[in-house]
Amino acid sequence: MRFIVGVDIGGTFTDCVVLDTSADGGVAVKIGKASSTPPDFQSGFVDALRAAATMHGVSLEEMLGDAHVYHGCTVGTNALVEGKTAKVGLLATRGHADATFIMLSGGRLKWMPANYIAHVAKQTKPAALVPRTLCEEIDERITFDGAIAVELNEVHARASIQRLIDAGVEAIAISLIWATANPAHEQRLQHLVREMAPGIFVSISSEVSARVGEYERSVATIINAMIGPPMQHYLAALEVDLATHGYHDKLQIMSCSGGLIDADNARALPVLTIGSGPVAGLIGAANLARTQVGGVNNVVTADVGGTTLDIGTIFAGTPVRRATASHGQYEYFVPTLDVRSVGSGGGSIVHSDGQSLKVGPESAAARPGPICFGRGGTRPTVTDAAAVLGYFDPDYFFGGRIMLDLEPARAALAELGSPFGMDAEATAAAAMRIVNSQMADAIWLTLTQQGYDARDFVLYGFGGGGGLHAAAIARELGMKTAVIPLSDLAAGWSAFGITASDALITESVGLGLGSPFDPATINARLRELEERVLAKLAKQGVAKDAVTLEHHAELRYALQTNQVSVAVEGGVYDGATVGRMVATFEADYERLFGKGSGYAAAGFQLTSLQVRGRAALSAVTLEAIDLESGNSTPEAKTTRVVMWSGERLVTPVYDGSRLPPGSVTSGPAILEFPDTTILVDRDASATIHVSGSVVLTVGAE
Amino acid sequence: MASAPVIDITQETAVSSAKDIAWTGKVHSYRPKGDWRTRVDAGINFHDDAIAELDPVDFEVIRQKLWTINMAHGDTITRISGSPVLATLDFNMSILTEDAEVVLNAPYVQFLNAGAPLGIRYILEHYSKLPGIDDGDIYCCNDPWIAACHQMDVLFAAPIFVEGRLFGWVANAGHQYDLGGIVPGGWPQNSEDVHSDPVVLPPFKLVEKGVMRPDLEAMYLRQSRLPDMVALDLRAQIAGVVFARDQVMALCTRFGATTVKAAMRRMLDQAQQNFQRKLNAIPDGTWTETRYIDEPLPGIRHNQRTQLTVTKRGDRLAVSNAGTDAQTIGTNGIPFVTWAGSITGIVSVSMLFEQLFAYGGGERQIDYEPTPGLLTCVDHPAAVSGGILHSVPMMNAMQAILARMMACDPDTKEDLVAPCADYVLPVLVGFDDRGNFFGQAILDCFACGSGARSFGDGIDSGGPTFSPLSMILNVEQIEQWYPLMCLYRRSDRDSGGAGKWRGGNGLRVAITPYRAQSMSIVTNTGGQGATTQNGQGLFGGYPSPASHYLIRHDTDLNERMVARVLPQGAIDLTGDTVWLSGKSNGTSLGHGDVFEVRIGGGGGYGDPLERDPALVERDLADDAVSQDAAERIYGVIAGDAEATTARRKALRAERRAWSRQETDTAAATAATGELDRAVHEYVIARDVDGERILACAHCGERLAGYSGSYKAGALMHEGPVTQIPSAPDPARFIDDPMVLRRFACPGCLTQIATEIARAEDAVFPEMRLGLN
Repeated sequence: MRFIVGVDIGGTFTDCVVLDTSADGGVAVKIGKASSTPPDFQSGFVDALRAAATMHGVSLEEMLGDAHVYHGCTVGTNALVEGKTAKVGLLATRGHADATFIMLSGGRLKWMPANYIAHVAKQTKPAALVPRTLCEEIDERITFDGAIAVELNEVHARASIQRLIDAGVEAIAISLIWATANPAHEQRLQHLVREMAPGIFVSISSEVSARVGEYERSVATIINAMIGPPMQHYLAALEVDLATHGYHDKLQIMSCSGGLIDADNARALPVLTIGSGPVAGLIGAANLARTQVGGVNNVVTADVGGTTLDIGTIFAGTPVRRATASHGQYEYFVPTLDVRSVGSGGGSIVHSDGQSLKVGPESAAARPGPICFGRGGTRPTVTDAAAVLGYFDPDYFFGGRIMLDLEPARAALAELGSPFGMDAEATAAAAMRIVNSQMADAIWLTLTQQGYDARDFVLYGFGGGGGLHAAAIARELGMKTAVIPLSDLAAGWSAFGITASDALITESVGLGLGSPFDPATINARLRELEERVLAKLAKQGVAKDAVTLEHHAELRYALQTNQVSVAVEGGVYDGATVGRMVATFEADYERLFGKGSGYAAAGFQLTSLQVRGRAALSAVTLEAIDLESGNSTPEAKTTRVVMWSGERLVTPVYDGSRLPPGSVTSGPAILEFPDTTILVDRDASATIHVSGSVVLTVGAE
Repeated sequence: MASAPVIDITQETAVSSAKDIAWTGKVHSYRPKGDWRTRVDAGINFHDDAIAELDPVDFEVIRQKLWTINMAHGDTITRISGSPVLATLDFNMSILTEDAEVVLNAPYVQFLNAGAPLGIRYILEHYSKLPGIDDGDIYCCNDPWIAACHQMDVLFAAPIFVEGRLFGWVANAGHQYDLGGIVPGGWPQNSEDVHSDPVVLPPFKLVEKGVMRPDLEAMYLRQSRLPDMVALDLRAQIAGVVFARDQVMALCTRFGATTVKAAMRRMLDQAQQNFQRKLNAIPDGTWTETRYIDEPLPGIRHNQRTQLTVTKRGDRLAVSNAGTDAQTIGTNGIPFVTWAGSITGIVSVSMLFEQLFAYGGGERQIDYEPTPGLLTCVDHPAAVSGGILHSVPMMNAMQAILARMMACDPDTKEDLVAPCADYVLPVLVGFDDRGNFFGQAILDCFACGSGARSFGDGIDSGGPTFSPLSMILNVEQIEQWYPLMCLYRRSDRDSGGAGKWRGGNGLRVAITPYRAQSMSIVTNTGGQGATTQNGQGLFGGYPSPASHYLIRHDTDLNERMVARVLPQGAIDLTGDTVWLSGKSNGTSLGHGDVFEVRIGGGGGYGDPLERDPALVERDLADDAVSQDAAERIYGVIAGDAEATTARRKALRAERRAWSRQETDTAAATAATGELDRAVHEYVIARDVDGERILACAHCGERLAGYSGSYKAGALMHEGPVTQIPSAPDPARFIDDPMVLRRFACPGCLTQIATEIARAEDAVFPEMRLGLN
């Protein structure tokens, strides 16, 4: 196939990155952008494709006739955010339907901002995912060892299912206690539902997320059911639209696990698409990290958007994973790359409590937006502060798509700062410093929680605000290097990451195995998982010999709660292999939690096994990509007065796209790209890497 | 019912005269005197320099960093320990100044940090010369008369030195698996005095200049039944303070110690000023709460009284325990540190939340006036380890007092929360089918219901106010750890107090042994949580009904399971019924037996007859309230608006027959010329005919003179506690007659107050405005 098409649908824009693999001099990249078109996102999708095709000088039909289309879709996320999800009924083990109401009590606050946790009187619980009247308790019980303590009462179960059908549910979630240890009852219930209501969407916990912990597993299963019908509807419409325009290959969908799955798989497990955008960004960063931009392949990524900062970690070239994700206060199991959101971004509101200046977590978001956008915003934001400091060309913001009106922003900042004796510029500088420090603190806390030291990392900054904040955050964290990856692509970075992704299928099974572990059990489970992985990849169009299998086991010390997922051998297990599995766990545990922190005397628990099957879908490497970077002498296109830590300096402004690889620009300077502005502070310099990335070196000393 | 042991609980310890109390930590608790710093060795060079002009942006940046460091301190502990106890966040950590003012606390168990300032000042006073305080040292202490809320919550404190000067401290306090004593797990309910409790260790220097002393570690672990596990947690807690200490030092290197110190001082000052501002908006007066503590020792069918009195004068609070019964033998008291921690912990979440748990400066405005030898400030050698849960009714008392104070100002009224449930804590002990010992507290009370607010309901299974982040474990995790099967864990109907806004509901949880060789149940309960009530109601809202521990022996559970039908509740099974009291030391649970614990809800707010009937109908549909409560308490007949109106009218009219109190004429206050001012949801202070009075806010009826008790002018009904829907009869375990009193405005018949009291006790004054 000649074209590789990556499409990422965001709330505002749909980005489409198209790689032309037959271009002269390597691979040519073009970005097509179009407005997103909710609720029928497929229109914006086709608009963005057409824009990119035009830039490559081909028609949409020509392009699609010779293309692979990879897609990161936010349909599920949007449905959740806007509450336009399917009406779901829940089947749970008798006595346990309340798990998703109870939300592990304070566990619901785990990822909430400090000011929310502290203000006890204003806390609340989110609305129930499934109203109580649509929760049915089923007489059955599996125990932790997989034994059936109570056989499934099918008579009662049928009556329960019938009540849900009569209530008009569009989807049914089935989540039973210890379905991870024995899925028989869930499978039987699924069968009953299919028999009684053939068209209905069914989601069962042992397939959605086979991990121990009924709360997070039930939430995953319910969310999957909630977005199943809208996702099916969307993909069906999209496939028709794409076929109309000549596309007949399989549509591949980006998953939060860090790889592509086929559209049928996405229909069954739409929960895997939530958060896939930021994950794609992290995958793109991991690919770039392999080229050693910035010198090391330990990377922390800062995707700075309008309302949030998304933080990802790549250690030794591999993105760090986690087992849970959050939907508001709900936490759910999903095999995802670890991307954490904190409420700091361009839209974060600068405010005062009368005693000191603060930034966020409240955001002006897209509406009303920053004051300087002139869309009705009245409270100053980080973007207003940046504009007042002279970081942007008011006539060339977002490539000239938004005209900035500075005066009202200046006035608001001046008013805010006056009790502290600060004028507009000083207040703006203060806001930038506070938000940069906040972002750095959030990254520091993330790395600390993951067991890493920030000083061993380089920072990749992307998203709309990556270029503004990256160097300051890096400096704050004691790093020497910040990278704005493939600067021209930074704003379409997620779409680019999608084009660079592999096919990836993750299958896991929960266990409650005490040591010494029985190799026969491990072998049986691993073979089952391998079979499932290979079958799904085969359906996705991947040949068996193209698949790389990775095996992982999750263990803990019998008397301690920390579970660690470790890479383990495939193949047939015996006593020696089991011994090596435990040894790997002990070594990883010690690295993560400190020397002597594990208590081996009481033995070990094997809590899950996971098999990942991975296959490259395209042979494109980053090195082959030709960004058509400039080759002219780097000369400033203009100058602007910019505030640098309280000093007003006439600062050269460069057209970033015209700077040739290897060129070095010393600060103070501003590099402008169509969608990104990069600050080069006085003690920093910017070097253009052969990949087209901008490498900022901070701290002249 | 087991017969009560023959112990004379009236035999009280002599109460010291208030004049010259030796607060030395020997008999009475340690409380530093005003001049404690003069006893610190001259070799300690306090770093008390701070730059005068702190840049406001530096301040905000450093404040955030201190917060982040403190949170990472907590993460370090949970990560390294891996303990299921610490995973539920039964600990807390703090950053303190050089002289041990708390700069930052964390959203974990609030009262646990109270020990740090006391312990550190004790160390400075007593050990600054020998064995000395040096860079790299870490002190450890679990002495409840000095710095631990009870022996199981062990304090670790590390000094921070910058250029040879003592810059500050970091500390954490966390719960241990076992430190000895006559019952595994450290909650011996049958301790007559501290000599039966877990080991008590006054402060000792465990780590010297970065090196742990093996002899002292061995001493620390020797009394534990699980020394290896305690050793792991010891390392986790040490790693926590080391990490936080190093991070604060790095902050000083970067910003300059004098700048960081200025930021710390400003955090303290801001907390103090905010607290002062809020206090100034509240009228002067005295608020009191009376709570009872059941069963000094298991099986003793009596309760004892505690009283908490807060006097607000200008911008200061004076807090007293006068009126509390003297200590006796048994696990019925708490030491000073726990009492003080209960007070600051609730102030922190109620009135200083903007400070994000930087409450230390607020404490400058609090004068503690404890009388030693009383149940809420017990002297050595009282048994205290098993009494720790009595801190929860003390926090609930403080919460009710603060809520009533906060209702006097429209801004702070938005932030008040009614008390949550008292704490019920069953411990499971036994051997699994592989012969492994297990002994673990079920901490599901961290999912109790929270109290109602002035604008909305409490949160169902929202958890206690005093520990926002504490969480419960999944049933599947618990079943992986312990040999049991959980039959249900469900939201519990009617467990929240009724009201215009109802308290959040708690849980009902039942287990049966599975693959267990043996299992027995130990019960531990705070206050009257297993007999009489949980959280108090506010302003006519009902208290939440008591919790319970229920065992069903030799049930038909197995037959039902074979027949593929699981029970909805333990009470539905056939078999013998045993209700366990709040304190019991091991009831065997065999195969086919079922144990159910009811986890309480929060207190209600306002007259239930004012609740929107639509909300009651929603609650009925969600099974959050019973039909009985809807009709009898809320006066709501589902689906029939007319019948509801009639029912409510009738219920209101019944109050006309309630008895009239004696009018309190002595409290007359002349008119002040001030504006009308709400001082309660239903009470307003205003000038009428030359007198400043307390009047009903709805109908204007005079209830009392300004400094009188508004209850005095109200109609009162006194009846059994079982009038509260689903409340058990206290007489099951307690011989002291307990009553529910309800008060209504004689004019409009709005229910304006409720209280639970011993029948013999006079009506609680609750609030007396003005200071005479």
